[in-house]
Amino acid sequence: MKKKVLATILATAMTVGCLTGCGGGAAETPAAEAPAAEAPAAEEPAADAPAAEEAPAVEAPAAAAEGTDPIANLIAATTGTVTLKVWASEEDQDLTTKLLDEFKASYPDVTFDITLGAESESTAKDTVLTDVEAAADVYSFADDQINELVKAGALQEVAANYTFDVVNENATGAVEAAAVDGKVYAYPMTADNGYFMFYDSSVFSESDVQSLEKMVEVAGAAGKKIAMDISNGWYIYAFFQGAGLELTLNDDGLTNTCTWNAAGGTDVAQAILDLTASNVLVDMNDEDMATQIAEGNVAACVNGTWRAETAAEAWGDNYAATKLPTFKAGGKDCQMSSYSGYKLVGVNPHSANVGWSMLLAEFLTNEAAQTARFEARGLGPSNLAAASSDAVQANPAISALAAQAAYATPQRVGGNFWSPAETLGQILASDNPDGTDLQELLDTTVEGITAPVE
Amino acid sequence: MKKTIQAILRHVVLFLLAVIWLIPILWLFVTSFSGYKGINTSHFFPETWTLDNYAQLFLRSDSIVQYNKWFMNTFVIAVFTCVISTILVLMVSYTMSKLRFPGRKSLMSFSIILNMFPGVLSMIAIYFILKTFNLTNSHIGMIIVYSAGAGLGFLICKGFMDTISVSLSEAARLEGASEAKIFFKIIIPLSKPIIVYTVISSFLIPWGDFVFAKLMLNSGIATDWTVAIGLFNMLGKSMIAKYFSVFCAGGVVISVPISILFLIMQKFYVEGITGGSVKG
Amino acid sequence: MKKALNAIGNYFKNIGIAFVRGDVWVKLSAVLMGAGYFARKQVMNGIIMFLVEALFAVLCVGYAAPNLAKFGTLGTVQFEQVFDPLTMTSTVNDYDNSFLILLNSIMALFLILVFVLFWIANMKAVYRLQVQKENGEHINTFKEDVQALFNEKFHITLLTLPTIGIVLMNILPILVLVAVAFTNYDQQHMPPSSLFTWVGWSNFKSLFTDSVTVTFGYSFKKVLTWTLEWAVLATFTTYIGGILLAKFINNKKTKLPKMWRTLFIIAIAVPQFVTLLLVRNFFADSGIVNTFCTNIGITDFLKNVGLVPANLSYIPFLTNPGWAKVMIVIINIWVGIPYQMLIATGVLMNIPEDQIESARIDGANPLQIFVKITMPYMLFVTGPSLITDFVKNINNFNVIYLLTQDVYVTSDQLLANSNAKEIDLLVTWLFRLTNEYYNYKMASVIGIVVFIICAAFTLVTFTRTIKGDKEEEFQ
Repeated sequence: MKKKVLATILATAMTVGCLTGCGGGAAETPAAEAPAAEAPAAEEPAADAPAAEEAPAVEAPAAAAEGTDPIANLIAATTGTVTLKVWASEEDQDLTTKLLDEFKASYPDVTFDITLGAESESTAKDTVLTDVEAAADVYSFADDQINELVKAGALQEVAANYTFDVVNENATGAVEAAAVDGKVYAYPMTADNGYFMFYDSSVFSESDVQSLEKMVEVAGAAGKKIAMDISNGWYIYAFFQGAGLELTLNDDGLTNTCTWNAAGGTDVAQAILDLTASNVLVDMNDEDMATQIAEGNVAACVNGTWRAETAAEAWGDNYAATKLPTFKAGGKDCQMSSYSGYKLVGVNPHSANVGWSMLLAEFLTNEAAQTARFEARGLGPSNLAAASSDAVQANPAISALAAQAAYATPQRVGGNFWSPAETLGQILASDNPDGTDLQELLDTTVEGITAPVE
Repeated sequence: MKKTIQAILRHVVLFLLAVIWLIPILWLFVTSFSGYKGINTSHFFPETWTLDNYAQLFLRSDSIVQYNKWFMNTFVIAVFTCVISTILVLMVSYTMSKLRFPGRKSLMSFSIILNMFPGVLSMIAIYFILKTFNLTNSHIGMIIVYSAGAGLGFLICKGFMDTISVSLSEAARLEGASEAKIFFKIIIPLSKPIIVYTVISSFLIPWGDFVFAKLMLNSGIATDWTVAIGLFNMLGKSMIAKYFSVFCAGGVVISVPISILFLIMQKFYVEGITGGSVKG
Repeated sequence: MKKALNAIGNYFKNIGIAFVRGDVWVKLSAVLMGAGYFARKQVMNGIIMFLVEALFAVLCVGYAAPNLAKFGTLGTVQFEQVFDPLTMTSTVNDYDNSFLILLNSIMALFLILVFVLFWIANMKAVYRLQVQKENGEHINTFKEDVQALFNEKFHITLLTLPTIGIVLMNILPILVLVAVAFTNYDQQHMPPSSLFTWVGWSNFKSLFTDSVTVTFGYSFKKVLTWTLEWAVLATFTTYIGGILLAKFINNKKTKLPKMWRTLFIIAIAVPQFVTLLLVRNFFADSGIVNTFCTNIGITDFLKNVGLVPANLSYIPFLTNPGWAKVMIVIINIWVGIPYQMLIATGVLMNIPEDQIESARIDGANPLQIFVKITMPYMLFVTGPSLITDFVKNINNFNVIYLLTQDVYVTSDQLLANSNAKEIDLLVTWLFRLTNEYYNYKMASVIGIVVFIICAAFTLVTFTRTIKGDKEEEFQ
């Protein structure tokens, strides 16, 4: 309880500090057009913020000259109740409720009416795109959706920062994931939406988990399974990218370039066939993995931090996680790649209170919030300060993710990728039932992936 | 002797069939008492028994599970839906069955074809039409979605009214009763079975629909939902491992009243369908 | 057909007559709608007509005109928003929303159509009044007119409300759907941020195109085939099954028929989406049925006979194309038979006993009786509802969607390229296109095709029943 109170005080103080500390400065540098990596507010030493704990209460902005402090302007311009709708994932409800209360408390002069809805990050896009105007003012989503959301005009550009420097206080990868065409469109919330290998250390030794072939051998001997959602574009990417084949988004932001059918492609496909043939490496979706880990049938799985709890519970002290292993394609070892994933918070440009929404989005993703999120749910922070804490560093899932980061790439892919890749995975995982020539198989997949979007 | 064996065999077959039909229902029922929240894939019966899933449904509402609210929402929507639908259906079926006016048959063919058009196809358009009237995300909107088009489903009811002897209304007409009076005083009382059928079947619609409800009630706020969305949501990717047993409990709870209504209705259903739609 | 043309011809002839022979008041009514009524001292009718016209004029100027003006282009002003970091507010330009323009234009056109019909009716009515007055017939007072609405015009009173509902919920959406099929409304052109516009028949063309990258033609053929196969299979299996079960239970030798019937009904009294979602988990790849089958060796047996691919340790009930199709049909039998049994029970009770009796005396065995007497009778009585079931199965969204969504992955690459799956019906494919890929234009084209198929089936069956004089039979 004490910790909570402390966090609250700290968070409040921080916001307050920022109000006076950097408010004016950020407004003076609204260089929105600047490329994402070079922060718009880079010149402003926003890191001072936490130091300003002794800053006076909220009323203080009176000191700032009228018109130069945006937050003061906003408070002054706000007369009625500020109605905001926020979407957070089902698992994030408790924490978000708490953060919302803190947010309200930090602006005592403003009456808020904030409703919190449940919308999982992985499906946010579906609900938002159906009717952008009806979507929440502030919502969280997984970074793979950012392209489509920006295209649909569902994200407000982060043109300026008010309470902390979003670009410089977050990991570079996270900021890149939140940017499209060099403009930042969202606030990084977590840096843990990628995948890596969970394993039961009573089955595998640390040297076993270096190679997928070795793992299959060991698990086979122990009568256990290794699970991976092979019939899913997101995961099968690990093999092809790992073997040096390419999948990138074209400049039009819609279509893909894909070289999976180039030289070496069939080796990868053959490798997947060989690996799954033994029936030790199995194609399994996330929900099934959850039950199968709990049942003790699966001793290792390729998955992300959201499964950490299940795995830790099932394997107890033997719970371990590491980077993805290597696999053999065409006789040489290839390190499996992965997508680095982030969860982001976005502001809806159709919101009636864009200003408050931006402040709230900042509040939900600042250092204190990210630390709280890690403490509550073990989610890896994207905020550099929060990520450097000892507790975060000691978390096995997050350190595995960090180890995998060297081989991970940000997810930039057009909508035509998913269905063909999913089907490729399904065919390979079910042992190529029609006996299609592998080159032909890959050619068709690539045709589908690179198909033009009319 | 042969006869007894045959009789036993007959009942054994029936028993086996009944078992096949009831196993999933039994699974639903026993899992609702499971102490394990996820899907138990190795045992049919739960390893630990508990009432906790029901307690979670009714007593521990959180932002995901708001069962009491869902139940109330669905109930209110269902009550209004069934009242409006029944009125509309009665109006149309009486007109089509008892009144004669030019264009009646073409109108009937037209509406039967229209009724074959599945709502799923025009969902998005319906959503935006209601949005123009600011009725999305409201229970009034849901009631409209479920009941406004009800007039098209007149076929069974009309078939039933066709069987009501025309001499009754003739006699009333001779006595100077207006058509409206005949409708209210003669036809409606005689159509009781088919009214019960229409009431119950339209009452059940909101309990089973998740497609429209999910599209319309898109605020993400659990207290706005109907039972169907709430339960459907519990089996989402990130939820199923923690809510499967709760889903089962929720399924059992709505099944009880619905089963009772259904058992009442089936009598009238048969009556309606054999006396009504069957002969067209 | 000729009759219909005649009717239309007469309709327009009557307006012509009203115009030619009408007096000055009738002619004035063409412009000022109440005029004809005022002339015959029907003041209330006159006022109502005038108000209707006034309301229409207001709607035309305020609602229809601005929307219809943009109907040709579906809007030209793109959404633009400027955010001012200093005041933290954003300003949005006066942008066009193509979808709303489309929707409102269709509603406006509909309104205009209704008004024109109303206007024609009005013309005819005032002319009739003139004739009545000339012939010295009684002219209704307002009170009598109102009373007529509860007497000879009662059908108008009764149908008004249902019609409004149906127009709003069924007709307008269908018109919108048809219109969208001729636009490029998809994920690249999604209002409010982007505009979409008319593209003519190109979407219909791509539905029937087969190229390497556009595989809609291929998928459409496959999905349509399976949809029809499914509809036939699903309809007949449950139909026959239902009759057999009903006969089995109704047989005099069966003890406690009511109890048995109730047992089967319980299975369908649980809401369908609950049972289907449950059954999906029941038959999941690592579900309980699979555990059971593995434990008692069924899985290995099926592997040996080649029904289950060798590299699987489970039976792919809902994940392999062949298995999934069979399972879906079986599960549908499970869901459908109790319903059919209920209906069949009702019908069988009315079966003429004497026919069966005399057949039995003639030495017919039970099978012959079933084929020669019971089935023809059942088919005769339940024919129309069988077609209804068939059409409903074409659109059986729930069973397919709930059993396979998120579970089934297609292994046909050409299908995958147009986001279809082997087990998709046209409706579920359409639903996925709109809900996951926002491909509204193609979904609308498919929707129109589905509608045409269903309408054709319905028309063939029901016109016969409606046109026939059977409905008078019992009265």
